[in-house]
Amino acid sequence: MKILVTLKRVVDYNVRVRVKSDGSGVETDGVKMSINPFDEIALEEALRIKERGEAEEVIVASIGGDEVQQQLRTGLAMGADRAIQVSADGDVQPLTAARTFLKLVEKEEPGIVFLGKQAIDDDANQTGQMLAALWDRPQATFASKVELADGKATVAREVDSGLETIEVDLPAVLTSDLRLNEPRFVKLPEIMKAKRKPLETLSLEDLGVERAGGIEAVSYEPPPQRGGGKVVESVDELVSELKSKGLL
Amino acid sequence: MSRFDPIESLTDDESLAHYGRDWTRFWPARPEAVVFPRSTEEVVDLVRLARRDGLKLVPSGGRTGLSGGAVASSGEVVVSLEKMRELVELDTTEPGLRAQAGLPVGELQRRATEAGLYYPVDWAAAASSQLGGSIATNAGGIRVLRYGMTRDWVQGLTVVTGTGEVLELNRGLVKNNTGLDLRHLMIGSEGVLGIITEATMALTRPPPEQSVLLIGFAGLSSIMPVFTELRAGLTLSAFEFFDRRSIEYVAGATGEDFPLDGECPYYAVVEFDDPGQASQERALELFERLAEAGHLADGTISQSLTQAKELWRWREAISESISPMTPYKNDLSVRVSRVPEFLDALDRLVSEHYPEFEVVWFGHIGDGNLHMNVLRPEDWSIGNFHAAGRELSPRVFELVRQFEGSVSAEHGVGLLKREDLHYTRSKAEIELMRQIKAAFDPEGIFNPGKVF
Ligand SMILES: Cc1cc2nc3c(=O)[nH]c(=O)nc-3n(C[C@H](O)[C@H](O)[C@H](O)COP(=O)(O)OP(=O)(O)OC[C@H]3O[C@@H](n4cnc5c(N)ncnc54)[C@H](O)[C@@H]3O)c2cc1C
Repeated sequence: MKILVTLKRVVDYNVRVRVKSDGSGVETDGVKMSINPFDEIALEEALRIKERGEAEEVIVASIGGDEVQQQLRTGLAMGADRAIQVSADGDVQPLTAARTFLKLVEKEEPGIVFLGKQAIDDDANQTGQMLAALWDRPQATFASKVELADGKATVAREVDSGLETIEVDLPAVLTSDLRLNEPRFVKLPEIMKAKRKPLETLSLEDLGVERAGGIEAVSYEPPPQRGGGKVVESVDELVSELKSKGLL
Repeated sequence: MSRFDPIESLTDDESLAHYGRDWTRFWPARPEAVVFPRSTEEVVDLVRLARRDGLKLVPSGGRTGLSGGAVASSGEVVVSLEKMRELVELDTTEPGLRAQAGLPVGELQRRATEAGLYYPVDWAAAASSQLGGSIATNAGGIRVLRYGMTRDWVQGLTVVTGTGEVLELNRGLVKNNTGLDLRHLMIGSEGVLGIITEATMALTRPPPEQSVLLIGFAGLSSIMPVFTELRAGLTLSAFEFFDRRSIEYVAGATGEDFPLDGECPYYAVVEFDDPGQASQERALELFERLAEAGHLADGTISQSLTQAKELWRWREAISESISPMTPYKNDLSVRVSRVPEFLDALDRLVSEHYPEFEVVWFGHIGDGNLHMNVLRPEDWSIGNFHAAGRELSPRVFELVRQFEGSVSAEHGVGLLKREDLHYTRSKAEIELMRQIKAAFDPEGIFNPGKVF
């Protein structure tokens, strides 16, 4: 069985994001970029499945300009066997991404497509679900535990009130939640080896993907500034401050 | 009524125990009172009161000191700067800032960052130590390699002397060649010359994105060649070393798994400028070359800032992880080039004389600075162990003398190293220090019994 894992290049989780002064987007120049943390978790899980002998090959794929090769190389260094870059410029909306991955699915015929539950840049939480619909296969989203047996995946899902465990027939779409695992560090010797692993570049046109244009970003705004704190001298002062603000 | 009115003071047992000691645990905390001035004027009032009533004052910052400099064990009055934590001015053109001495260094760093600037002096206790305390100890830490010590960032000081005089030292000037620079005497003076009440600090632009390497050395002799090559090939911010034993304690305390095999005798956390793909490539090439030369046996590189932080934990958490073993710490330095030779000699010395003691090594190897931590065996009392440490010290310090190093690289002298000052400083130097102390503090009000 093959597992296809999708990796999105995003602004690093720890970077304080700054909105461009004209409100047209967020600054990415000179900003640390990383693999979307949920995608990294998805890849870690795929690698563990392979290491248990339940899959033969892990393929990582990313959509974007040549800069995404950096994240693909990281994926290869973590242990993926080969990588596919689907080159595309500009904004790639969830539906375009889902259509692209569907083409890769048709080409590679994986038993599992593993995505992050959402990307931390646009927080759309749509691509996995759309892919499952387009592919007409089951989906198990927000996975916090995955077990495979007899052509099925048993997946514990993080839902509002706790965990829901479901079983899906493979092939299927899985999306990872935060608690699924803790991704490994890449070893330097593995990074060397990763340089020799195959990285194939296709384009949206090669794959015949029709770009979706349904969403237009109108403007971006930073969150409102947090008001400064105030140090009070005594409990009495604290109480009267809270009262004056109607909090007591 | 208290004699310190209207200056706030505390005399309850709990507060006395709390404010009477620093990070060390070797001396009892027995101050007479703790006072909390709110301004330079109130500090002057306290000095006047001390002269009138014959009180001794212990200047006190965040009490993260490791040499007992802020310990009050014989009825002194602790002068806590805790309530003087105002940021007076932040100047983005200079760039620099002026603040009261009690501002926590972590807060200073945060305020600088918020203004798009950077205060680079950093160490594991920076969040709880104070600006004044860090100046009085000339704190160093993990980025000295690139940015120097606290001394290099002090542009002006307001100081109250032992006669109650207020000195404005250097007033934030970049250039000021007008006689002796008394500011530099205050830096690292550990509270024996006066109380620092305000300081003007230089700030800088933040560095580009940083990546972190964690590398495992094949052996002791590999450390210097690796340091030299990485320093030549990358823009390093830190090169911090630790031994295999440190890993066990950090893993035990944090519950984390070490990301490498953990079979090398020594490791280093290396932080470097990584503004784009090119520097990662260069780091990898260097690693490959050093691995082929047999110097590096293992390594990993952060792929995200989260991973960078996690890798740093393996160095930063060592001090805290071993603190339950009340380690006998030595903070030694030699010329950078002599570190491996020195480390080897020290290691042999300890295992020869105290085979029952476990030693954890870590430090700022790029600055020639090693922290030697002898751990207390579980069945030893703190008292007996401290005594054994004091017995071991002359041997260690004799070696330091032979290597022309320092018996206290960045932790100061305080109470802990007072008797050992002569290993690093000549008689003539120590005598001059006493005379300078007498000039600043003729009645010996500040920090009696500390340093010399
Ligand atoms: C976990 C840990 C890691 C550490 N790592 C490092 C490190 O890497 N590098 C390093 O350099 N240090 C390190 N230290 C030591 C310590 O944090 C520094 O020496 C720090 O600068 C002390 O600041 P403080 O405010 O806590 O001072 P305190 O401990 O309160 O006082 C230190 C000395 O300064 C005097 N003093 C304090 N405030 C004033 C003032 N306003 N005016 C005059 N004198 C004053 C005191 O009398 C005392 O002698 C570490 C400590 C810990 C606990």
